[in-house]
Amino acid sequence: MARKDFLDIVSLDREEIIHLLDQAVPFKELFTRSVKKVPALKGKTVLMLFYEPSTRTLSSFEVAAKRLSADVTIFDVPHSSVTKGESVRDTIDTLQAMRADYIVVRHQLAGQPAAIARQTGASVINAGDGAHAHPTQGLLDAFTFREVCPEMAGRKVVIMGDVLHSRVARSTSTILDKLGVEVAFCGPGSLVPRTRFKRFTNYEEAMKWGPDVVYLLRVQKERMDQSFFPSDREYHNVYGITEERLKRIAGEGIYVMHPGPINRGVELCDGVLDYERCLISRQVENGIAARMSVLYDLKPQVS
Amino acid sequence: MSLALNQSAIATAVSRLADQIFQAAGHETIDLVGIRSRGDEVAERVAAELRGKGAQVRFGVLDISLYRDDLAHLSSNPKLQSSEIDFPIDESRVILVDDVLFTGRTIRAAFDALFDYGRPRVVELAVLIDRGHRELPISPTYVGEYLQTARLDHVVVSLEKTDGKDAVEIISKQ
Amino acid sequence: MNLFLQGGEVATEDGAPTRADVWIVDGTIKAVGVRDAPEGTRVVDCAGKIVMPAMFDAHVHFREPGQEQKETIRDGTEAAINGGITGVVMMPNTAPSIDSATVVNRVLEIGKKCRIPVLTSGCITVGRKGVEMAPIAGMKKAGVLMLTDDGDAVPNAALLKRAMEYALEFDMFFASHCEDPQLAGPRALNEGPVSYRLGIQGTPALAEEICMDRDIRIAHATGMHLHIQHVSSAIGMETIRWWKSRGAKVTAEVAPHHLMFRDEDIGDYDTHYKMNPPLRTAEDNAALLQGLKEGVFDLIATDHAPHTEFEKSQAFVDAPNGLSGLDTALVSLYDRFICNGDFGWDLLVKRYSAEPRRMMRLEVAEVAEGKGADLLVFDPRKETTFTKEFMKSKSSNTPFLNKTLKGSVEMVVLGDEILLER
Repeated sequence: MARKDFLDIVSLDREEIIHLLDQAVPFKELFTRSVKKVPALKGKTVLMLFYEPSTRTLSSFEVAAKRLSADVTIFDVPHSSVTKGESVRDTIDTLQAMRADYIVVRHQLAGQPAAIARQTGASVINAGDGAHAHPTQGLLDAFTFREVCPEMAGRKVVIMGDVLHSRVARSTSTILDKLGVEVAFCGPGSLVPRTRFKRFTNYEEAMKWGPDVVYLLRVQKERMDQSFFPSDREYHNVYGITEERLKRIAGEGIYVMHPGPINRGVELCDGVLDYERCLISRQVENGIAARMSVLYDLKPQVS
Repeated sequence: MSLALNQSAIATAVSRLADQIFQAAGHETIDLVGIRSRGDEVAERVAAELRGKGAQVRFGVLDISLYRDDLAHLSSNPKLQSSEIDFPIDESRVILVDDVLFTGRTIRAAFDALFDYGRPRVVELAVLIDRGHRELPISPTYVGEYLQTARLDHVVVSLEKTDGKDAVEIISKQ
Repeated sequence: MNLFLQGGEVATEDGAPTRADVWIVDGTIKAVGVRDAPEGTRVVDCAGKIVMPAMFDAHVHFREPGQEQKETIRDGTEAAINGGITGVVMMPNTAPSIDSATVVNRVLEIGKKCRIPVLTSGCITVGRKGVEMAPIAGMKKAGVLMLTDDGDAVPNAALLKRAMEYALEFDMFFASHCEDPQLAGPRALNEGPVSYRLGIQGTPALAEEICMDRDIRIAHATGMHLHIQHVSSAIGMETIRWWKSRGAKVTAEVAPHHLMFRDEDIGDYDTHYKMNPPLRTAEDNAALLQGLKEGVFDLIATDHAPHTEFEKSQAFVDAPNGLSGLDTALVSLYDRFICNGDFGWDLLVKRYSAEPRRMMRLEVAEVAEGKGADLLVFDPRKETTFTKEFMKSKSSNTPFLNKTLKGSVEMVVLGDEILLER
């Protein structure tokens, strides 16, 4: 019996994750065909409900849905600070009338996609809720990781940056952990909470641990203004991939990943993008395949 | 449950298909595309016999899960596997290969999948077993064996590589 | 250099001074003990005098860059030498503030040209505005160990917590100027009968105590070492004592003026007694002295705060806070406390020489064989009159101006240089 919704990684077990990853492979193969579309979701409606603006994730889902031959509608939701609970309630009533089959939700408040899922028979996919979860990102990250390190168990990934506010850090660390990968966090002391994962506040210490992949998180300017760390320049010098650090990373063949969008000169220097083991564009490509895998797998309960 | 075909009967059916295909091919290269699951294993065996006869064979596999017409009605979707057709489809004479031909809907889905890869010149159909009860106007070009079945009968095909044994069994819904 | 300090008593952190001669050759102490003067040495008569490790002041304001009319780093170090001090830590409330590696490097460069070593603290927040964290890692690299927004507290508790969490990685410590901004008022004087009589809104000790408790809690929760600056009240002292008993990583300093003076000394609006935190009551004086004797206060620091005569001659509320302390501290502590037997030389050496150096992770100065010379000679029988000419600080805003106190700093030796000789 398939799931109705895809809200987080925490509720998935290892078998389900492997199934979704395996299933993404044939979807990725479609990219090389001249006809990239398949009729699997023909006649179905996919609704994009993005309360937080995002071009990358939105278009990734859009392409994924359209390649499955679904009809995609981008629902115009107000981006300004509206009374939180109310606008979502009103929207749900409208959604019922529209009889959408799939709803992709991104919201600044953690838990909103789950709230919507409870109130509709449509399949709800969480495209990012507050600092809570971004499960499709976790999936595409695991997929990308598996492409370069097929035997995942025992491999090491260090996630670097503002872990405290990152839903990507949460989803990606959880999915890798379930796949047997050793995960550690590294970053400024004020931005890396104490969790069950190894914690580093020193770049060199983290690298001594011997990661196979360095996963960089985006540094958000708002955190600087809220006094979590001093300045872009200091962040780059203390925790960023400087030209100097890139040389050593390249020398050891360590992979570099990043969920995007990148801040050049902050979490990484320009050189990283030309590094042959930088997987950033591959992650974007895999995002479509991963999202197709999720859309194909879910079953709405619409009458 | 009755055993309709045993291992040697299956082997005979495979040879029959290979002979028919070989004769019709002349000196042309033979393009076989097996339909997952089990159609691919049948195609492999046919390809082996054809090569044994000295024919040039190109081989591909098609997963038609994404093209099925009943996806919306399933409680969970079939396990999706890869399709691999690494020779050009355009202008070729493709022989689709499946284990059982029944209502014809699988073949209809296979046409849609195949045509998303390119535009073949000719498409032919080779089936190990034709059990009748068509719901769409589709007829096979090459048949290994004809099987008399009732509409509600369940035909279970087992092949060595996929299932660990060779057998075709019929379970009657009486 | 071949110096023989003859006939004096050597003071240390432990016990009373003991009779010993000190022989210094080329900047190193060759011998300590009663002996005859060796051949070829220059003999300095120290009979009746005390030879002790030189002092170290961990809280000074040298006003450079930006307010050089009050003091410069050069003048400040000369005032220190004049007072028997051979090391200082500058506070960062200059203009611009010492809140980045660039400014740190600049002041340390100037310091290198002075006759004694100069250290500096760095700001916690950019411009000490309490909004944005300063580039802490950069400052550590430039040589900063102590982070403080001294002159102000950090009003935003969340920012202070995050800064502490961030700075843990760089092995630095924080120092707090404790003052709740909303209770501070015009920062003129202590709230009490004196403020009532003078008709000026006073600042209650509560303002300091609340902030002190908050800062210590945040430091304790994050695991950061916190040093409480210029403690002025009895309850403040008790707060620190209590947290220390619970194992918190907290240290504290007390300034000579908070031990010696009280708000009544303001008299008729005398701005020489105007500082922040303000002078409080006799009970506070007594409690702070008790705290010093018990070791609640790890060190003595002057909070040397020079201001021009013009500024200090303003109306009481307008005049800037602080007194110039480096020239007078050691002599005044002798005059007020050691003479009375309130405490001995050992406490002074411990709290105004050894512990401050330890806090700054420096080697402790000792009058002992094999150590580098870093000492002063003090004559308890002489007197010092603190005229403007005598004091080396550019400013002379001290209650001791033109007063005569018992005791005199006679000589200061650092390495192979005699920095001062009267």
